[in-house]
Amino acid sequence: MSYTLQFGQIWPYLPSLLAGAWLSLQIAFVAFCGGLLIGTAGATALSFGAGPLRRLVRGYVTFFTNTPQLVQIYFLYFALPDAGILLSSYTAVLIGMTLNAGAYLTDIQRAGFESVRSSEMEAAEVLGFGRMQQVRYVILPHVARVLFPPLSNQYIIMTLGTSMAAIFGVEELTGRAFNINSQTFRSIEVFSVTAALYVVITLVATVVLGLIGRFAFRARMRLV
Amino acid sequence: MSFNRLTWIVIAAVAMLGFTANTVIARTLDEIIKSGTIKVGVNPTLPPLGKFDEKNEIVGFDVDYANEIAKLLGVKLEIVQVGSPDRIPFVQTGKIDFVMGAMTRTPERAKVIDFTLPVHTEVMGVLTIEGKPFKHWKDLDNENITLVQVRGTTPIKFIEDNLKKAKVTQLDNYPDAVRALAQGRGDGLIDIIDFVGEHMNKHQVKWKVVETPVDVYYCGLGVAKNSTGLKDWLNVAIFDLHKKGKVGELWKKWFGIDMLYPTGVGAAF
Repeated sequence: MSYTLQFGQIWPYLPSLLAGAWLSLQIAFVAFCGGLLIGTAGATALSFGAGPLRRLVRGYVTFFTNTPQLVQIYFLYFALPDAGILLSSYTAVLIGMTLNAGAYLTDIQRAGFESVRSSEMEAAEVLGFGRMQQVRYVILPHVARVLFPPLSNQYIIMTLGTSMAAIFGVEELTGRAFNINSQTFRSIEVFSVTAALYVVITLVATVVLGLIGRFAFRARMRLV
Repeated sequence: MSFNRLTWIVIAAVAMLGFTANTVIARTLDEIIKSGTIKVGVNPTLPPLGKFDEKNEIVGFDVDYANEIAKLLGVKLEIVQVGSPDRIPFVQTGKIDFVMGAMTRTPERAKVIDFTLPVHTEVMGVLTIEGKPFKHWKDLDNENITLVQVRGTTPIKFIEDNLKKAKVTQLDNYPDAVRALAQGRGDGLIDIIDFVGEHMNKHQVKWKVVETPVDVYYCGLGVAKNSTGLKDWLNVAIFDLHKKGKVGELWKKWFGIDMLYPTGVGAAF
């Protein structure tokens, strides 16, 4: 068995792969931001909300963290049209990933909220801090420091998770890799270049997020 | 180095000897009748022409059709599993008496094996929905058109070359692509339409196949060169099965739709 690597056949497709990587980044970023909004609202509801609201949010989190993301998007893309709702490939993937991220980020942020010790809150009260001052000077700095590392992990996981968008007709990095593979049959070359691009994307994100975490939130984070 | 080359020459010589020796043993019609069994090559990776059932036996249109041939000849049928790369060598070496599996007749292939009259056709065409205005596949070369295709299949290249303006949504598999088309996610699907028949029937949609196909392939049975007697008999048997409507019946049974371009029983038969 001998196989001659022919990366030369792949280079003409590199711009296409890079455009796909850019789309992957976009999907991950937009879905993460949306998920963060849902997660903040959800965690607030879980920590401070009334009973029925808490149960509703708990149900949402349980449902989305215990079913596969692939199945969730499949439902949005292929089952909803039977109810008259036709979402485009991009929209279905984005909504699916946002809802999924929202559930995980709700749980992560709830844990962050709970990590604020009651003694710290009591100390703030004794010192005469108002509600907003408590949030600004006690809760947020503490929560940000605790939450930043797991939130960045979630972002990395989501970046890699965008690869399933290919199944629903989104031409992101993995989808384009499949296309190029079927035209050139240079599987080893195509997928090693694709893997390298994913590594670059996630490494850059890890380093940037790590720097922000270290200097802005005094979080303990490894850079590489 | 020189040893290597010598080795290769020896191997090549032996292989060629084996090849010539084997070509001779393709069986004649008389030998088949005398043995009481006809050996037919079926490719089980081409459903519904050939596939494995729950009992891991090969079934499909090709098996049923070969059975009809065996009945007409008054012999038993033996199905031999073949794959795309080995099916023609199997015919040449007499391991099977004829081969099936969408054997499209091409001048290139006919240099190596002989073909009988066509048994069925395959239509590379445009599947769309009733009410869409397309008359010709070239009508799809328009930026407002979205084609729903299966990722990694050959029609993608055809679309890139010939329908440059059309948008393409690439999905993971045929059931998904046909469902997406049924749900209104696109205007058409270009592929071998016969093979998506079983997926079409699962949707409450009025399907339409655009009148002008991209191409029609005629598939016959593949037999060894110098098997004139067998081939002549098979041609008569094929004519008989077409005339009795047996082909159409089996096609409908396995493909779920009528053959899109029936071969007809023309003067050439």
